[in-house]
Amino acid sequence: MENQYANEIWPLAIYFGMVIMLVVTMLALSWVLGQKRREAATNDPFESGVVSVGGSQIRISVEFYLVAIFFVIFDLETLFIFAWAVAFFELGWAGYLSITVFIGVLVLALVYQCRSGALEWGNKTRTGLREDQLTTGEST
Amino acid sequence: MSELMPVLLALTILVGGVSLAAVITWWERRLLGFWQDRLGPNRLGPFGIGQVAADMIKLLFKDDWVPPFSDKVVFIFAPTAIVVAMMMGFAVVPFAPNTYILDVNIGLLFFLGMTSLAVYSVLLGGLASNNKYALLGGLRSAAQMVSYEVFMGLSLMGIVMMTGSFSLVDIVEAQADTWFCFSQTLGLVVFVVSGIAESHRLPFDLPEAEHELTAGFHTEYGGMKFAMFMLGEYLGLILISCMIVTLFFGGWMVPALIYDWLPPFIWFSVKVFLVICFFVLLRAAIPRPRYDQLMSLGWKVMLPITLINLLVTGAILLKMKGA
Amino acid sequence: MLEIILFYIAATVALVSTILAMTRANAIHALIYLIVSLLAVAVIFYLIGAPFVAALEIVIYAGAIMVLFVFVIMMLNLGAKGDAREKTWMRPSVWVGPALLTIVLFAELLYVISSAEGPVSTGVVGAKQVGLSLFGPYVLAVEIASMLLLAGLVGSFHLGRRYLDRAPSSELGHQQEGE
Repeated sequence: MENQYANEIWPLAIYFGMVIMLVVTMLALSWVLGQKRREAATNDPFESGVVSVGGSQIRISVEFYLVAIFFVIFDLETLFIFAWAVAFFELGWAGYLSITVFIGVLVLALVYQCRSGALEWGNKTRTGLREDQLTTGEST
Repeated sequence: MSELMPVLLALTILVGGVSLAAVITWWERRLLGFWQDRLGPNRLGPFGIGQVAADMIKLLFKDDWVPPFSDKVVFIFAPTAIVVAMMMGFAVVPFAPNTYILDVNIGLLFFLGMTSLAVYSVLLGGLASNNKYALLGGLRSAAQMVSYEVFMGLSLMGIVMMTGSFSLVDIVEAQADTWFCFSQTLGLVVFVVSGIAESHRLPFDLPEAEHELTAGFHTEYGGMKFAMFMLGEYLGLILISCMIVTLFFGGWMVPALIYDWLPPFIWFSVKVFLVICFFVLLRAAIPRPRYDQLMSLGWKVMLPITLINLLVTGAILLKMKGA
Repeated sequence: MLEIILFYIAATVALVSTILAMTRANAIHALIYLIVSLLAVAVIFYLIGAPFVAALEIVIYAGAIMVLFVFVIMMLNLGAKGDAREKTWMRPSVWVGPALLTIVLFAELLYVISSAEGPVSTGVVGAKQVGLSLFGPYVLAVEIASMLLLAGLVGSFHLGRRYLDRAPSSELGHQQEGE
């Protein structure tokens, strides 16, 4: 494992240690200095002055899951583009051609997303829904 | 002596970063006051700069409260994550020739990795609070951050193509003749937009939209732990400004046509200062968009622009090289 | 010398955090340990001379895939009930068998590795070499990967779509979300 990387990384290790120390100091100082006050409503969840009803175990709409999935997939695709960009001149036109195909597929995915309404936030404009389905959905 | 240099530098960055973040809170309020035709904090000390110290003392003596209904370990961990991630991001920034903690050939990727880790702070803070507002705020914030992260990296690939390296020192040195802000204007615009969204500042501060979600993911946070979220946000602002200067405005390089009479670090600082002022101006000038508009702006406008920029840059570069 | 010390620190962190990730009953705690483990693995990759892989480990695994995991945990949002149920699943009778079999495999692996010749690392593989080989001899794999990702995207959207098409009032989530 003899390479110059390890010698470059030790300042980073020291810096990391310092950052951790800073964070711990901040937390410890406020723990020591902070006032301790407990009143009737101190330990209630803050919901704009309204007394909290039920737990926070609410259902979350599925859009968030979709955004996370799209993010992971597109992030994976950017990785290939990173690898291409750094060796750009060495790869020349041949590399350019293959990345064009690659980005073409990426754009295809994006167009599909736009057309199918996957990126619409709020569920009324989705093209997967027919007009009559929409109305029954709202009346129930 | 040369062994001690990185340690001293690390200490300087640490102290400098935290104090700069504190001073910016004051400077931002003064600037906003100026643009909005009011005074801003002006009572304590000259021009009110004593406000920074006063705020800090106040925050230190605030109740260090951990909600009994929260996931206590994660609750304390969440604000530290953003401070650590943002602080680590500074490790690859070249402040002046030979003045950096780490110059590796993956410097740019290291920066992107650190910004992507900052998402956890928001997600975990929202989840650990065990509060409905915090949960929704955390989810919204995280969805926004990941959406804009996709093309944050892509917008910089034009620069990587021209330089042939991820090393930030190489990138700065490649700008000796022309800054990349001229050849990669589209990349600059996209990077600025995604930078604001990443550090969730106004106008993209929907996760903290007061009128909808009280304070978003940090609803239950108070005292020093709240201050750490704020510190992380301001460190993020400084980091993004540093990266914009490094990547697009020649880093420590002297602007063309100006006689070189100041040390490189001063040039770097002046540029970073101007970029920070620009971010404050954005906050003062632009209203907040709606959440669905924000998301579709990211996916439907910014991402295609970035891809087009990439392909056009590639074609032009290859043409120029071939000719 | 220094890199050996850094390597062993990173390896210890990776091992300990992985074991903790497996034994936590709370899914979020387990995920945090898993993220720490991935970061430690990134450091190891860097030390053995694969900086690009190290960066990808942070950007993709720690920064993207784990975010998806946390998202899913947040969406399920089981709370204390989930922890209690998880505890009942972690009985020794469940994990002792597989663990013993894994130890046998591990011993075998150790034997094979220790008898193998040659250095672990074959020098530094930079980002540029990765790019050159990805878009050189392995360009077909890259294009196939893009197709695969497209398929993944379409598939995941269609899985989620059923729930999107549900009427707003039938799903509590939409009401709560209501923006």
